[in-house]
Amino acid sequence: MRLTVLGGFLGAGKTTWLRHQLHHGLTEGTLVVVNEAAQVPVDNVLLSRSPHLAVLAGGCACCEGRDAFISLLRDVCDVRVASDDRAERIDRIVLETSGLADPGAIVDAIKSDPVLIHHIVVSEIVVSVDALHGLDQLKREPLGRRQVEIADRLVVTKVDAAEEETLRPLLGTLKALNPGAVISGAAMGSGMSLPDFAHETAVPLPELPGDAAAPIKATSIDIDETIDWAAFSVWLSALLYARGDDIMRVKGVVRTPAGRLLLQSVRHVVQSPEILPDGGEKVDGKDNSIVIIGRGFDPKSLLPSLRYFADRPSCPRPPCR
Amino acid sequence: MCANCGFPAAPGHWTEAGAATAPDRLRARFRRAQVLQAILPGYGLTAHDDGIIPGITVATRTGNHVMVADLTEFWAAAERIGGKVIDPLDPRFACADAGDENGSR
Repeated sequence: MRLTVLGGFLGAGKTTWLRHQLHHGLTEGTLVVVNEAAQVPVDNVLLSRSPHLAVLAGGCACCEGRDAFISLLRDVCDVRVASDDRAERIDRIVLETSGLADPGAIVDAIKSDPVLIHHIVVSEIVVSVDALHGLDQLKREPLGRRQVEIADRLVVTKVDAAEEETLRPLLGTLKALNPGAVISGAAMGSGMSLPDFAHETAVPLPELPGDAAAPIKATSIDIDETIDWAAFSVWLSALLYARGDDIMRVKGVVRTPAGRLLLQSVRHVVQSPEILPDGGEKVDGKDNSIVIIGRGFDPKSLLPSLRYFADRPSCPRPPCR
Repeated sequence: MCANCGFPAAPGHWTEAGAATAPDRLRARFRRAQVLQAILPGYGLTAHDDGIIPGITVATRTGNHVMVADLTEFWAAAERIGGKVIDPLDPRFACADAGDENGSR
């Protein structure tokens, strides 16, 4: 099953956006899981269009509600495995997180569960950002920043209510915080065009407690034929172990003897790579290339380091002592 | 999963996804050990994979050793017994033509 995590700060328009997606055909074979930090859920009423809807109230899926969330997903896996009816089979889960959840922690919870790891692939992290209050939240809330930094796709909501002068600095800041994410606009869930923000500068954000000050950068690395999968995987696993707190995402397509692998990670956690058909999906229009998004390191040092790992074994080695 | 030893607890580690056939898997394991053996001496560590028993062994020069299932566990074990995180962005790995890293610690 593919899991889409829908995150965003409190009141960022997650439910409205999801409701619109449900009205536009996201219902078939999709289970919608709504997580609310409050004891009394409300969003399930709004999302009643979905034939498969589960509600987790009274705890965030990334912390207090983690056990209930894992248990719910395990039940879904059990039902799916036992079901013979392919028409009713759930192939996709959309998790709407509470506004207080860190999507990275949720992905971590799934990947570290011995049952769920066999059944669930995290396909996308979508984070909604309020066009009116988003910038203010980014200035004040470390969680708001973490949510934005980890997203694959950022949906700026309530675009119709915001003036262009409000929108531009927000878009520039979002681009600086997460250069790898696709940014789109929405109003009441439907897609809206955004003003051109390619040259917009980011608003300086105050340093928050426990937050690193360095900006996040996206670095693309082309992997040539001299770098084999074993050396690459040794290098990347070491990099994520040593720098996993600073590296938000790794995405890419790498050629291996087993085929083209789609590689994705969220902080320390790498998802099981998918084998892609030849000539299919590419990252940034390139094959055999990865994008590393993170902070606190010199992007120019990545490729020489990878080359060192790949080339070193062929170099003359000093005698053993 | 093996009913006797419980290995592996999870489906293959992501680093093992690059080899689909048995010969490729064996080749990848030996190549992985070769890469590790070239990287580790600067940290006073060695790596060993015999290609038969599942897992990799990381050892210090004083004989302290740990057998681990995959590379994520490997780096954690290397830090624990070697006393230092192995960071690929360490300046010692900055140049592919760098000299002997032994003793640079």
